[in-house]
Amino acid sequence: MLALLPEYAGLDDPVAELRSACLAAVAWLGRDVEVLADDQGARVGAYLVDATTRSVDEESYLVVANGSARRTEKAPGHLDERSFAFDAGLREWLSGRGSPPDPVLGEELLASLTGFTLMAERVAPWGSPVVDFDDDPFGVQYWVMRWQVR
Amino acid sequence: MTLVLGRHEFPDDATLMMAIVNRTPDSFYDKGATWAEDKAFERVALVVEQGAEIVDIGGIKAAPGAEIDEAEERSRVVDFVARVRAAYPSLVISVDTWRASVGAAVCEAGADVLNDAWGGADPELVDVAAEHSVGLVCTHTGGATPRTRPYRIEYDDVVRAAIADTVAYAERAVAAGVARESVVIDPAHDFGKNTFHSLEVTRRLGEMVETGWPVLVSLSNKDFVGETLDMPVGSRLTGTLAATAVCALAGARIYRVHEVVETRQTVDMVWTIAGRRPPARAIRGLQ
Repeated sequence: MLALLPEYAGLDDPVAELRSACLAAVAWLGRDVEVLADDQGARVGAYLVDATTRSVDEESYLVVANGSARRTEKAPGHLDERSFAFDAGLREWLSGRGSPPDPVLGEELLASLTGFTLMAERVAPWGSPVVDFDDDPFGVQYWVMRWQVR
Repeated sequence: MTLVLGRHEFPDDATLMMAIVNRTPDSFYDKGATWAEDKAFERVALVVEQGAEIVDIGGIKAAPGAEIDEAEERSRVVDFVARVRAAYPSLVISVDTWRASVGAAVCEAGADVLNDAWGGADPELVDVAAEHSVGLVCTHTGGATPRTRPYRIEYDDVVRAAIADTVAYAERAVAAGVARESVVIDPAHDFGKNTFHSLEVTRRLGEMVETGWPVLVSLSNKDFVGETLDMPVGSRLTGTLAATAVCALAGARIYRVHEVVETRQTVDMVWTIAGRRPPARAIRGLQ
């Protein structure tokens, strides 16, 4: 979601709701945050970390990734009907149930899964999250989820 | 430079639409469409709705024609300025006049800017602007007498002449007590200029911008556009907008216009290309 970056800001924010949810979620994290993401996601993560104030001394991870980018005809990758089942499965897995996403299909659907893979390596298992955002504006599936992992 | 136009302030990066409102029966473009006061008031309402920050009210057409004395000019603009002031407190009201006496009367009625389209023909206009703390537009006419057309005028360098005259006028205004941030310079396309002069001023407008004084351009449907494209009045919008784009890229701040919406879009587009304004809303490829 490069539209979150200040260098791509317009006069109106096309992702205001998502941005608000992201900032609130990142502010909920501990003081020191490790970003788990691919290169572009890392830039977005760095922005979110810099844009928030956190005080709790708690090990924290910020995962920047997304589901299919082929959920509508106007989506970046045009419509691929397989997106809906893929994202439904991904949502289940992020909720602590089901199986990890198929990386080959994920690549075809322009999903960004690197952050999720890193998350699985670092913090699995995780339980049910608090879901702050679950929508597909612009044909791309985003979630803002928070997990408390003990 | 931050602009202070009467009671209104604008930041350094703001571009402003100055909509022409003629209280004349014979101006070249509208041909008396807003001669009646209520029609002129409707025009103000329209351009405000379209987003104009400034209205430029004029009581005398620029071209030669019937003599309009001071009393007649006052009767056309003073009460109208007061009416617009009362209805639109946040609107910048400019009055296109070269006469100091008329300038004083419209300032009393609520004007914010004196647009001296004839380049200081009345030397006391600067004192009026200073006394009333209003803005002043300093134009270049090459010394032309008000309401005359250029005839065989030549310059060694029209742009240097325009810069020298407008900057000198601006400094004279400041010396008279006009606030520096309330002075604007205008090369005055077509005034004291043939088409080649106006084209060169357009092409080299950046040199005027580099003086540091805010630059106003008045391009709308003028003869230099018509002669360049061989288009009559009424068919010059495309050429006007092309010239507007060039001036916007150079950094002109104020655009005196007939067509507010089209000019605003042109200026915003160019201003954004130049990196001075963000896109309105950008998501393409950034999802």
